[in-house]
Amino acid sequence: MQRRSAARLSPLLLLLLLLLPLAWGAGPWPPRADRELQVSSRLAGQAARVALHYLNYRLGSPSALRALGQVRKATVKPIPGIGHKYYLQFTTEDYKSSQNVGTCLATVLYLKRKPRPAVNINCTYTKDQKQTREDDYSFYKKLRQQTKPITGNDTPDSYGHIEPALEPAWALAVAGSSYLMWEKSTENLGYFMAQVKNVKQWITKDDSIDFDYLVILHEIPTQEMISCHLRVIWTPGHPLKVKYFCLSENQRSESGEGSGTESGSTNGIFNEEEANF
Amino acid sequence: FVFTRDQVLRIRARKEEQIALLRELGELEDLQIDYWLSPAQPGLPVDARVPFHNLQAVKVFLESNTIPCSITVDDVQELLDEEKEAMMVSRKFERSNNSFSFSSYHTIEEIYSWMDYLVAENPDLVSKIQIGQSYEKRLLYVLKVGGVNRPAIWIDTGIHSREWITQATGVWTANKIATEYGKDASLTAILDTVDIFFEIVTNPDGFAYTHSTNRMWRKTRSINAGSSCRGVDPNRNWDAGFGGPGSSSNPCAETYHGPYPHSESEVKSIVDFVLSHGNVKALLSIHSYSQMLLFPYGYKAEPVPDHQELNDLAREAVAALAPLHGTKYTYGSTIDTIYRADGTAIDWSYDNGIKYSYTFELRDTGHYGFLLPASQIIPTAEETWLALMKIMEHIRDNPY
Repeated sequence: MQRRSAARLSPLLLLLLLLLPLAWGAGPWPPRADRELQVSSRLAGQAARVALHYLNYRLGSPSALRALGQVRKATVKPIPGIGHKYYLQFTTEDYKSSQNVGTCLATVLYLKRKPRPAVNINCTYTKDQKQTREDDYSFYKKLRQQTKPITGNDTPDSYGHIEPALEPAWALAVAGSSYLMWEKSTENLGYFMAQVKNVKQWITKDDSIDFDYLVILHEIPTQEMISCHLRVIWTPGHPLKVKYFCLSENQRSESGEGSGTESGSTNGIFNEEEANF
Repeated sequence: FVFTRDQVLRIRARKEEQIALLRELGELEDLQIDYWLSPAQPGLPVDARVPFHNLQAVKVFLESNTIPCSITVDDVQELLDEEKEAMMVSRKFERSNNSFSFSSYHTIEEIYSWMDYLVAENPDLVSKIQIGQSYEKRLLYVLKVGGVNRPAIWIDTGIHSREWITQATGVWTANKIATEYGKDASLTAILDTVDIFFEIVTNPDGFAYTHSTNRMWRKTRSINAGSSCRGVDPNRNWDAGFGGPGSSSNPCAETYHGPYPHSESEVKSIVDFVLSHGNVKALLSIHSYSQMLLFPYGYKAEPVPDHQELNDLAREAVAALAPLHGTKYTYGSTIDTIYRADGTAIDWSYDNGIKYSYTFELRDTGHYGFLLPASQIIPTAEETWLALMKIMEHIRDNPY
């Protein structure tokens, strides 16, 4: 019944949440000497978003995408020689409906040497998981039933309109972009997915859904719009497979790929098994 | 169909038998009675349109059955002709202001022609001033709402052209100010104390470019010497912390500060206008997206002397905004809340004695970002209005 995912509702977590005001100063949480951030501070919000990019990528579920609600508590601890570790508590909203769907506790470690932040996240989820699984499956069925590959441009368009037929493809782009945005985020650079410039579906012979995208990311605080090619391969219930290649106006190019097996551990032990596909 | 001299009779049946009679009357095809209000129960009025040549017969029938009636419409055709004329007049009005819809995104031409319409409709309240020209020689227009030279509030939207929700909110808000004057007591009191200067399309070259070529264009369209990249970030071009790390020295960058402060005519025009006015008390610059209300500084971490007051007012303003549609804003100084930004408008205005300097970042928080659906224009404008009113009321009540 429970998914092998970071979003688990466990009695221990519930207890932890209830005891949070007390627990904050003890256990795995940082001692009071570390710097507490204003909940409205950009660093706190940015770190929370990084944690959510990671969560959205790992869940790989277009119907369970989450956006940041509000930061409730944020602390940052410098780890000399390693980086900065953020301890966060924030609420989340359903990406489509903006309804509150639960609270998360997360740590985000920005490392000095390795670019990708290390994330550990646990969330409550108030949406019916059976419902989201069914929604994912209807998405999947609709896409599998395509005899003609889905193609599209400018989603949303200049006026913010998303063609209903392109909604599933767009949601998958958000999930795939989450991997990309997690990879690229640093303590000072944050991302939003601004637009799907182009989408093209590949009809596969196996049971996967395969999309090629050109997405535009909005980079903060530089305000740059970054174009990235994104390849997303999805089978419901399986980790998302993502491959990307980005080009910015300043001709910085970066690429990467992920297959859902990346570790979010914060102990400095990285088990990276990036399968080729 | 012509209805010349047909009449509408209002009939009052008091008994059940009379209702039955009226129903039978309606069924007589030769009489061609057209019930606008059908016979239902005693006590409820019955309205019947009766063709001219059957009027006498119907009236005689009603009289002989002691069913009282009165003539409500003397000549149906006359009524129809009047209505048709009224419709044509209203359509002519709509054509003359292009059937302007507040819940759509518009082009510069549509906004500029609507501005003329607003001035024409409110000649004693609203006037249009030209404060300069853009790089590509488009005219920079400011709407003045108010009267004789008084302390003033400056509001600008669209300085970053891709933030389309801001120009759209600007249009709605200008209209709101003009139509609520004399109706809303608080706004009327504000406008009787201060003037409002409103620049809706603050970056017209950029705006035109977002329509014609690149929806994500942010900067001006000035040519940069020695570079193939165009444009300067008009909100990094002000003389406050100009050129610092919260902006870029690369002409290709989105936050390029420009060759020197106020190099952009779009910026210089506002600077010259505000300084020569000499009595501007507030500068409110509207951007998107992020849902934030920001005050100085962006170029340094040191809090402004008026930090407490600006922070408290920001808290009240976002609290006023939230209940309407449940939209949550964060607030604080620019550097703490969004990021370090050098050469911004509100930092310049604050350093030039304009205490109430705020940047709004409107909807949303990243879901649609710059591409906010048109259906959200009016809700966004309505909630922003509540925050603006809070700030303007405070300005009215706290002269300095």
